[in-house]
Parts: sequence; structure tokens; C-alpha cells
Amino acid sequence: MEYIGEHLLPGELGRSFTILAFVFAGLAVFAFSLGRNTVESHWNKLGKFSFLIHSISVFSLIACIFYILIQHYFEYDYAWKHSNLDLPMRYILSAFWEGQEGSFLLWTFWHAILGIVLVFFGPKTWKAPVLAVVSLVQLFLVSMVLGIYPFDIKIGSSPFVLIRDLPENIGLPWTQMKNYLGRIPAFMDGKGLNPLLQNYWMTIHPPITFLGFASTLIPFAFAIAALWTKRYTEWLKPVLPWAYFSVMILGTGILMGGAWAYEALSFGGFWAWDPVENSSLVPWLTMVGAAHLVILHRNKGGTLKSAMVLCILSFLMILYSTFLTRSGILGDTSVHAFVDLGLSGQLLIYLFFFIALALFLFALRYKHLPKTIKEDDFWSREFWMFVASLVLLASAFQISFTTSIPVWNALFGPEGFIPLMSSEMAPPLDAVSHYNSFQIPFALIIALLLATGQFLRYGKTEPKRFLKSLGLSAAISLTFALLLGWYLDFFSDPLLFLLLFASLFAVIANADFWRRKMRTKFGWAGASIAHMGFGLVLLGALISTGKQNIISENQTFIAKDFPQNENLLMELDDTLRLGNYLVSWRGERIEGNYRYYDVEYMSSNEQGEIKTDFTLSPSILINESMGNSPEPDTKHYLEKDIYTHITYAPLEEEYVSPDGFSNEAQAEMQVGDTAILAQSFVILDSLDHTLVDGEDGQIEEVIVEALLTIVHIDGRNYKARPKYIMRGQDVYYEDFVVEEPGLKFQFAEIKPEENIMVIKSWRKAEDEKPFIVLKAVVFPMINLLWLGSVLMAFGSGMAVYNRIKIQKKTVS
Amino acid sequence: MKRNHIIAIIGIALAVGAILSTLGDASTYVTFGQADNDPGEVYTVIGTLDTTRPMEFDARNQRFTFYALDKHGDTRQVVYNQPKPQDFERAEEVTMKGKSQDDYFVAEEILMKCPSKYNDGKAIANAEEVYYD
Repeated sequence: MEYIGEHLLPGELGRSFTILAFVFAGLAVFAFSLGRNTVESHWNKLGKFSFLIHSISVFSLIACIFYILIQHYFEYDYAWKHSNLDLPMRYILSAFWEGQEGSFLLWTFWHAILGIVLVFFGPKTWKAPVLAVVSLVQLFLVSMVLGIYPFDIKIGSSPFVLIRDLPENIGLPWTQMKNYLGRIPAFMDGKGLNPLLQNYWMTIHPPITFLGFASTLIPFAFAIAALWTKRYTEWLKPVLPWAYFSVMILGTGILMGGAWAYEALSFGGFWAWDPVENSSLVPWLTMVGAAHLVILHRNKGGTLKSAMVLCILSFLMILYSTFLTRSGILGDTSVHAFVDLGLSGQLLIYLFFFIALALFLFALRYKHLPKTIKEDDFWSREFWMFVASLVLLASAFQISFTTSIPVWNALFGPEGFIPLMSSEMAPPLDAVSHYNSFQIPFALIIALLLATGQFLRYGKTEPKRFLKSLGLSAAISLTFALLLGWYLDFFSDPLLFLLLFASLFAVIANADFWRRKMRTKFGWAGASIAHMGFGLVLLGALISTGKQNIISENQTFIAKDFPQNENLLMELDDTLRLGNYLVSWRGERIEGNYRYYDVEYMSSNEQGEIKTDFTLSPSILINESMGNSPEPDTKHYLEKDIYTHITYAPLEEEYVSPDGFSNEAQAEMQVGDTAILAQSFVILDSLDHTLVDGEDGQIEEVIVEALLTIVHIDGRNYKARPKYIMRGQDVYYEDFVVEEPGLKFQFAEIKPEENIMVIKSWRKAEDEKPFIVLKAVVFPMINLLWLGSVLMAFGSGMAVYNRIKIQKKTVS
Repeated sequence: MKRNHIIAIIGIALAVGAILSTLGDASTYVTFGQADNDPGEVYTVIGTLDTTRPMEFDARNQRFTFYALDKHGDTRQVVYNQPKPQDFERAEEVTMKGKSQDDYFVAEEILMKCPSKYNDGKAIANAEEVYYD
């Protein structure tokens, strides 16, 4: 049958490119494997050719998806699910990777780009084996978007599926309509992009993060290639710039994610130890360890095995993260895990394959790996660098272990493979303090090593000299720490104070090191700058979260044991004191799909004059189909941020009945029960029956009265006696109005079998002023965090550049 | 024994420590009935919305009450002393962290899972608790 209005060409092209990409990745694996020990053999050339064809196919297939999205071909499920006609062009990119298929392709895309860089600029002797590993990974990744069903087994999920070909739609009557696209309104527009993703951060953060993910492949591929071709130490030199590149990009991606969460989401912070955040932090930590061990070996020898293990582990952790976030296993514990596409099995095979490959090669070659003979001196840089790497590994391990709780459940839970546990484990109730209890001590050790490490020499350091060269920075840091600690009140928690000192020390000692040693050697300053940056990130994170001040804390006492409310109700034009500010809500504006709430922050000077400091406009994005989402607004000062977000705003008018009561609510109660109705605790004390006899002596009426005690929020108790009246087959109600707090009760139903009474309540609708509920937080010195992030990225970038330069020099 | 080996052993000891303490910190998913046995103790309950009963949000006092069914099908009134999460009505599954008190459940933190219309699967409900720090 010919359907009217469909555009099948881009889809068919896309599928063909998918198959081409798959086949040529396979061919590249084959050719590069055969040519792994050669430099310019025919196999090698075939491999390069295949890899380029593979890459071009990947780019073309992505272009097909973009074409479908831009042209709004909603007959394609991908376009229909992830975009709509209103979607601004700049978010087409977000629509592309919103779905799992697109994000796999984004990842594949970066691998292809990195692979092309290797094809053209990689070290000649390493190209073939490294690209063989890269192509193997690509083979697996492209299989994730194949969307074929050999022997009824689903392999991959294609982004080019037509809606009418979806398994759930096959056989439905409309799929038999020739002109279904023109007839069925649902196909005239797509469902649109999740409003949370319609944000400029979301067009840059995921591509960077995926480049970070992709970048871990190269050190992995080098390590595998080294084991494979038995050149155990030569790989360490060419891998260095790649390892630093990975550290830089992955780190930037993680911090950008934090910036996005902070600027655009209503989390009230930049880091939450969410499983998805954790699963990109863990590979970063191991990669930082790996990069340092590689450099250690370059300078001093030894630590080869650990360097290899960490390079391999970083990539395996990326695969593991992918499994965690995409298999749906995190479902109960994370905010931004993907929905399951039925690909978990394939992902698991993928993960196990590469774990097995790495283990097998490592075991096979273990005996031949060069051993370290001499022992590191206690006063040597190599010893402490090794310790630092182990601390990073321990930190990564701890984060991973807790994040993996759903995996432990799947393995050992009551319904798991090996049912060891009698009930399912839930993540720690207070996740933040759980992670902090480990990560703060780890951060402390790392910061101290960061401060002192550079002053240690390889080999042996004279302790006195070492202490002397650190003395000045230590003294300055301590002074600053004491001042800041006093100013920001850090003395109550010694551990946090120590971290404050250690991170300051890391910043200042590295600045000092740069001043002394590196001023003349500009290229080598990367390490100092990156280390300073990391120190600043720690410092900024510590101060801004440790000393954040929720100025909107609600003072109203609600009941004992109720958690303190951090949200404040604000009526139109009322002025409330929030911290040092006088704050008013000035009104609501509607612009497009956004509702903006203008909140004016004022302060008074000594003369008592009130002046406006700034106005923030937090907003709510109205989206019928996906749900409304609030967006915060933040005033940035140099030394602090004032963050404001709307936690509640009435978007619709409440129904008010003619007698002036509204807010209907009901509760099912037995005698003696307490329910919460109409802002009060309502206790059903007892029931009172009255039988009214009719003239003929028959029972004419049964009146059941509910005796209620109302414990109102104003602290007083009230009584109410609504009646339930049965007359013959009919039921009547006599509502009871408690005038003073303005409540109305109805005895609405009796369920005799269960002995349950249904009580309804209403509250008197007041001439309420419009209001909003908001949360406002002051984050002190959060700019240190962002400054640190920039320095870290910049410093790592310099290190990458420097390493490439050195390599070129030694090659020529 | 080499110093690096000693350090490695310390590392392993740390790792074991991390596992044990995580197991100690980890809670378990329970039903309302199990939470009732230990009032005042914080538990995590996974349930669904009881749509046959009303949910009420008192904006002025920021108290949100609703009924939830746990995995055994027991229904319980849940009191949440925070603004009503956006689109709470759509939640397919609700994860509630809190404690049993009298005959209701006081939730300190709520995570909800929305229908797959959300590509992200979930929307965060209690921003304060979860995303603090």
C-alpha cells in the first residue's frame, strides 16, 4: 500500500548508512587486527579506509536524523517523540540527543572524530592496534541503533522507525489508512521536547559530557593495544595528552552539568550525589589517577600495572555508567535516568565483553609485565603520587558502591540471582551526609597532597628543604583559613575547617610553586594552574554549600516532628524580611509559555531609606503535555549569589461553591481515628444514633451524628456534629459549619461492612490576595567554584598542549 | 614488604570499610505496615497514588496531604510539609522517605516517577532535600 504524505527517503538512507557504519566498523576491526604489528601495510591502509567510510556513514546517518527533525517529518517516531512545530531551531540539537538512540549516536560521533584524529595524527606505530580497539567499540555502539530483529531478538533500536511500524501500533486500524498523516490530528504535530531541556545549557552540556565519555576510550585503547602487541611501556608517552584531554573534557562536562543544575533546575545547588552525576564523576576520578600514574611512570618508572589498570578501569566505568543510566535499573533512585528501551541485555553483553577482554589480556600478559625493583623513598614525589592515586580510586570505589545499590538488589536481593538479602536495600536515607562522610576526608587528603606534592622531588627530597619551601604558603593559608573560618563560622566543625585550610593551602602552595619554578617555563604551568583550579573548586564547593543560607525559612510552627519548611508564602506587594533583604512580590507576567514572577529585593540604609537592590524573575514554564517546570533566577554578586525559585504558585482558580466554601477534602475514618482535613487534625470521637418514629410507629428516620473534635492550627479546639440522615431509601445531610475558623463538615457516607465513615470538609474561601510560595538561598563565594572550574580546564588544556609539543619535538 | 604494598593494603581496608558502612547506612524499602511497627524511625516506602481519595494542598500552610497505596495494597494518608510537587497527579509511582506517626505517614522527601512522556522518567519532587548540597 502507498501511504500519502510520507517521506520515506531520509529514513531509508539513514538505515542504509547505519548498516554501512556497522559493516565498515567490523571491517576496520578485522583489517587493523591483522595489521596491528605493522606501520604501513595493506591491512593498515584497508583499516584506515574502512574507518573513514565508517565515520562518514555515522555522520551521514546523523545528518538524516537532523533532516527529519528539521523538516518535521512526524511520521518518524523519533521526530514525533522529541520535537514539535514550535521547537526553536536552536533546540534541534537537544531534540537529537534527547532520545537514547540520539545520545548513543552522539557518543559514536565523538568516537569517530577522535578516531579520525588518530588516523591522521596518531603515532604511526600505534595506529593499527589502537584503532582496532576503537573500531570494536564502534561496532558495538552502532549495533545499539541497528534496530533489526534476527530470530526475534531485538538488536538495537533504530531512530528511523515509522510510527506505524512500531510494534505496539502494528495491526491498528489507522495503519491501514492511506492518508493517516492527513487525517489523524495527532500526527500533525510532535509531542515536543521536554521543557527541562529547552535551555541553553542543555545545548552545550551533553555534547561536552559525551565528548568526555568518548575521550576515555583512547587511553583504554592504548592500554589494550599495549598488552596485545606486547609493547608494555612505549604506549605511555603517546597516551599522556589523551589522558589529560580526557581529564579536562570530562571534568568540564561534569562541572557544566553542575552549572546547569544550579542555573536552570530547581534543585537548589549544583551537586546532589545523584546516581547519574556520580556515574560521570567516578570515571573522572579514575582517569585523574590514571593520568598521574602515567606521568609518574614517564618520569620515574614503576607503577606500570596500576597505570594500565586505571586507564582500562576508566573506560569500563563509563560503560558501567551507561548501563546504570540506560537500563532503567536506577529507576527508583535517580532523577534523570533514561527509560528502558529493552536494550539492557545488549548493554550488559557489551559491558561484560569489554571486562572479559581486558581481564583476559591482562591475565595473559601479567607475567611479562615489567616489574618495579626499587622501593620508593618516603620523601619522594612518586610515593605520594601513588598514594594520591589510591585515594582517588578509593573515593571512586565508595561512590560507585553506594550508587550501585539497585544493582546489588538485582544480584543479591530477595528476587535476585543469588538471594542473599531478605529485603531490598534502599539508598541511604540521607544520601548527602552519607557521601560526605567519606568524600570529605578523601578530599582533605587529596587537597593536602595537591598542596605539597609539587614540592617533593622525584627520587629523594631533603625533608628540611621541603618543609622550608612550604612554610610560607602554609602560614599564609593558615592565616586565611582562620580569617575565613572566623568570618564564615567554620570552627564548630573541625573536619570542615581542616578542609577549608587544606583547599586554601592547595591553591596558595601551587601559586607559590608556579611563581618559584615555572614562571620562566610557561608551557609547564598547566599542572600548577589545574591544581590551583581544583583547590578552588573544593574551596568554592565547601563554602557555598557548607555555609549556604536559606533565607526563606518558614518560621511558622506546624506540629512537632514536622520537618522545618524552607519555603515562604508571599502575598502580592507584601514586604517580608528575608535575611538582610526586604522582599516583595510585585506581580506576574506571561511571556510565551513562561510565567514570570517579579520578586524585588530591597534593603534599607542607616537613614531608614529603602532602596531596590535588584529584581529577580523566577519563572514557571507551562507545558500541558509534559508538565510545568519551575526555573530559578539568581542574582550574582562577586562574593555571593542570591538564588530564588518558585516552589508553588496557584495556576488555576480554585472552585468556590455559592455558600462561599471551597477546598473540598474528604477522609475515611473509624471511630477514634484522626485525619488531617482543612488544615486541622480532625478526630472522630464517636457516633450518635437517633431513631425518629413516624406516625405509624415505623422507624421513619435514622439520624447518625458524627462527633468531631477539630484541633485547629490556631491552637484552639472546636466541635462539629454533621448529620447523616436516612429516610426510607433516601439520604440527607445536615452539614455543620464552624463559624470561627470558617470550616464546614459533612458526614457524607457510611460504609457499614468496613465500619468506615466518610467525612468531607470545606474551608471558607476568603477574599484571598494572590500569593506565591518561594525558596531563596544565599550561596556565599560560589564564584570560587566556577573560577576553579575554568582554571582546571585551562590548566589541563595547557598540559595537553605541552605534551603534544614535547612529543613533536622528540619525534622530529 | 614494600611500602607500596602496605599502602595498597590500607586502600583495601578502606574499601572494605566503605562497603560495611554503606551497608550500615543503607535503609530498606518497606511497606506502611512495617513503618508503623517503628513509629518515628525514618523509612523509604514505594507506593502508588490512591486516586480514589482526595489530595489536598493547603498553600497557605504549605501542607500537602494525599493517600498512597504501598506494595501490599495498604492505603495510608501521607502528609508532606512542602509545596505540592508539580504534576503530582501524574505520578505513576511515588517513593516516600519519612516516618510513621499516629495513623498517617509524614514524608520528608518525595520522589515521583511520571509516565514515559517524560523522557527523563522522573521529576524531582522534593528539591530541597534531594538536591541540597
